Amino acid sequence: MEKHSKYIRTLLFIFAAVIFTACEETIIIETGDLDERVVIEGLVTNQENHYVKITRTRSFYSTGPAEAIENALVRVSDDIGNTYQFVHNPNGNLTENGFYYPVNSFQGQVGAIYALDVQVDGEQYTAQEELLPVTTIDSLTVIINREELEDPDEEGRFFNVLFYASEPQGRKDQYLFKFYRDGEIVRDFPTDIYFTDDALLGERIDDLEIAGFYAEGDLVTVEMYSLTQEAYVFYSDLFNLLNNDGGLFSPPPANPRTNLSNGAIGYFQVSSIDSEDKLIVDPG
Amino acid sequence: MRILFFTICALLIFSTVRAQDKFTLNGYVRDASSGEELIGVTILIEETGSGVNTNPYGFYSLTLPAGEYSIQFRYIGFKTKIEKVSLTKDLSLNIELVEEVTELSEVVVTAERQDVNVTSIQMSKSVVDIGQLKKLPSLFGEPDIIKSIQMMPGVISAGEGTSAFFVRGGSADQNLILIDEAPVYDPSHLFGLFSVFNADVIKDSELYKGGIPSRFGGRLSSILEVRTKDGNNKEFKGEAGIGLLASSVMLEGPIKKDESSFIISARRSYVDLFLRLANEKNLVYFYDVNAKINWRANNKNRFFIALYSGRDNFNFDGNFGFDWGNNTATFRWNHLFNDKLFSNTSLIASSFDYGLGSQDESNGFQWDSNLKEFSFKQDLNYFFNPQLTMDFGYHVTYRKFAPGIITPSAESIFREVELQNEFALDHALYASLQHQLSDKLSFEYGARLSIFQNVGANTVYTYLDQLDNTNPIRIDSTQYGSFENIKTYVNLEPRFSARYILNTESSLKASYNRMIQNTHLISSGTVPVPFNTWAPSSTYLKPQVADQLALGYFRNFKDNSYEFSAEAFYKDISNVTDFADNASIFFNDDLSTEFRQGTSEAYGLELMLQKKKGLLTGFVAYTLSRVDRTVPGVNQGRSFLANYDRRHNLNIVGTYDYSDKWTFGGSFTYGTGRPLTLPSGSYEFGDGQIADIITERNGFQLPDFHRVDLSATLVPRRNKGKKYETSWIFSLYNVYSRKNPFSIYTRVALDDDDNVIGDGTEKEARLIYLFPILPSVTYNINF
Repeated sequence: MEKHSKYIRTLLFIFAAVIFTACEETIIIETGDLDERVVIEGLVTNQENHYVKITRTRSFYSTGPAEAIENALVRVSDDIGNTYQFVHNPNGNLTENGFYYPVNSFQGQVGAIYALDVQVDGEQYTAQEELLPVTTIDSLTVIINREELEDPDEEGRFFNVLFYASEPQGRKDQYLFKFYRDGEIVRDFPTDIYFTDDALLGERIDDLEIAGFYAEGDLVTVEMYSLTQEAYVFYSDLFNLLNNDGGLFSPPPANPRTNLSNGAIGYFQVSSIDSEDKLIVDPG
Repeated sequence: MRILFFTICALLIFSTVRAQDKFTLNGYVRDASSGEELIGVTILIEETGSGVNTNPYGFYSLTLPAGEYSIQFRYIGFKTKIEKVSLTKDLSLNIELVEEVTELSEVVVTAERQDVNVTSIQMSKSVVDIGQLKKLPSLFGEPDIIKSIQMMPGVISAGEGTSAFFVRGGSADQNLILIDEAPVYDPSHLFGLFSVFNADVIKDSELYKGGIPSRFGGRLSSILEVRTKDGNNKEFKGEAGIGLLASSVMLEGPIKKDESSFIISARRSYVDLFLRLANEKNLVYFYDVNAKINWRANNKNRFFIALYSGRDNFNFDGNFGFDWGNNTATFRWNHLFNDKLFSNTSLIASSFDYGLGSQDESNGFQWDSNLKEFSFKQDLNYFFNPQLTMDFGYHVTYRKFAPGIITPSAESIFREVELQNEFALDHALYASLQHQLSDKLSFEYGARLSIFQNVGANTVYTYLDQLDNTNPIRIDSTQYGSFENIKTYVNLEPRFSARYILNTESSLKASYNRMIQNTHLISSGTVPVPFNTWAPSSTYLKPQVADQLALGYFRNFKDNSYEFSAEAFYKDISNVTDFADNASIFFNDDLSTEFRQGTSEAYGLELMLQKKKGLLTGFVAYTLSRVDRTVPGVNQGRSFLANYDRRHNLNIVGTYDYSDKWTFGGSFTYGTGRPLTLPSGSYEFGDGQIADIITERNGFQLPDFHRVDLSATLVPRRNKGKKYETSWIFSLYNVYSRKNPFSIYTRVALDDDDNVIGDGTEKEARLIYLFPILPSVTYNINF
């Protein structure tokens, strides 16, 4: 009986694969003329880990790190009279080309509005964003994923981390999540972005599984960022762009909406962050 | 409007004054073997050269001066009948036509001249030949009306395996699909692999692409009118078909011989039954049920009830599921008020619903959405005389749009959310005259008055900036009670057609029509998916208006065995419903801020040559067309090719009756690729993700596609007088296994094991293609 069912299963799998899975192959596309644009990725937080990364767009088939712009004039000011100058790669690290950091460290204030001013090659790019509060992460717990334990993709990685927080119902919130394993970003798929608004959320977020499987001894970090409505829309547009199917059943791809002016690509994000660490230990 | 009214009154008076010494001959024309009424039978009075056609219920009426007449009844596939009538009083004459069976051992010469192509006023109409459809190759061996429609000139498909069709530059939501007068909102099963129409129960299927008669309205680009069989009222018959993916069974017969009959059919796919046996957790199936009862109470009254119910069901991993389905019901009463006035009264209900859900513990939810409509239709045909017929009537429809309720599961992080429902009352008054002015010149003219009301209960918001879809800010709200009028749109839709006969073999036709669409599909992809919702015209969504002009030349050759037509069209649409870039169309309380109504311009040329007689029959259809859209805020306001634009489209279809047992069928289809939005560059953002830069909407084109399909039908015991007849249909789809491009998308470059190549900064474009060569077998029994 078992052999019979396995035979049917294989037959059907082949059958189903032919019908219901599309076939794919890589092709080369003629992408036309590129008009070069400035890409700005800015972050100001309620802590002291701000940065502004400035690069250029490039042709579709280029590889390697993005071309950094190292001679931009960058400053951030707030609506209570402070202006913070940023300087390019003050420590001269090779991995930080294109990154600008504040000359004098400062802490972002909840409720303040921050303005970015970037000047590159005689062009000025500006953006404005408010720093909104974020709720706190109550706790993280570790569980074993039974299915993954039987057949793990990576040796030893069969633990999941669950997330607990309360969601303030009285105010409109938007969130961005980032997950790290020993300091490196974790995603279930390379094109994932983890973000949500609270329109559909109840007052408790419990037992929510974060991305990734972990092994014993891994240090897991969960970061929760507050987003303004505009930043939420940006991430939503970016997610759709990264995951577009070519416009058959979904809309054709389009550039994400941005708060940057003058045709710059990217976003100037201002967030409160709450983060929590968890060392993976077998719960027993 | 007043002019139309006075003209009608004048004609009524005029015709009654001349009514002395005139008598009316009327009745029904039916299929002798099944009793089914025949639609569109040509009735020709030999003495005068004029005539009428039977209406959609098989009824005709001729008012003539007293005298002796030879009246011809002609219908394709049937032997022409000539009745000699002595008209000295009003006479009721019902006719039964016998099917014409081609005997291959003799050479058949028919005296009939099937020149409807040339003589009818109607242009831009395609009729699906069900008999031929069943002999042609089909995907998975399932003959499908919609796939057949996609082969006609002026009709484009989005790609293989989808049921969406695009008519003369119109998008997929601009087609009104009717089954027994009830609208079907999503005609697809399994995402478009099959359509909801079971070919076994279809009697008649017609597509109007232009010159649309006044009795139709509600969509801009086409009307697909499908009528199911009424049921054989002479004897019991049945049919069963067993195919690779689905099976169907059909039973019909008399309830009371010659008076009432029924037909019922069901179709189900069964891949899921095998999957369940194999303990596989993924589940997919669909089913259809069609049922009809009709009762001829007396010579003046006839009643019908028709029902349709169909559903698709998917389930992945025993956890995530979605299903969708249409349900329709039609009750119809045909009544003869007098010899000349035929009435059809219909009550119609239609509902389309879908559900999406996950049983995951913390993410569990169920999302349900539906659209319901109820209609009352009163249609009248008045046969003044063979040169003048009038159609007029009143339709009213109530629609309820329920875009969605999300219900969380017990432990879920989600809360219950309900989107606002919307309600509409859609009225239409129409009148149209078919007027034969002379031997050569005929007109059909009329208009439809559309009065559309968006009504409550509802709340309408006013926004600080109606076009701000990033952060919509409501500044005011107005509450409306149940059925309270919120917004009314009144539009007049003039319809005009003319036909000029050049000679017995050829004619010229022209038409102009204006169509209004008040039911809008909220979808920004090329092909609609079952979870797209519909919305009524409202405060922020204006009715879409299409004006179409068409010109045609029609010519028949070799005694009507070849039909040639050339039609050119121009279609201009204003307020075409479209959406802002990155529009959020699901679960958006502020959906109106995403609407961007623009303009669409389409034009083209359609050429078709059909061979209708002989052992080899078929057609060649070529369409050259272009459609552009201009939508505010999209593509920086510049016009762009519509998603469904296809410059060249060529279809060649043929069937060959080789012998008593074997029939062969084949089709070739070629099309230039549809437009595509591809990146002009890329950039890095956020922890190593590489995004595309888009500078132009639909600036690229998919490669061309072409395909050959072949089929062979074997009937082992045709006409041997046995109680049942079996047949085998062997189908080969995509004979040379071409990788026809379906879509192109971009992604980070992956190797054959789906691992990221290198540092993850390399991107690639991937071509999706669907079906390689696919054989299939279907077994049918007719009893």
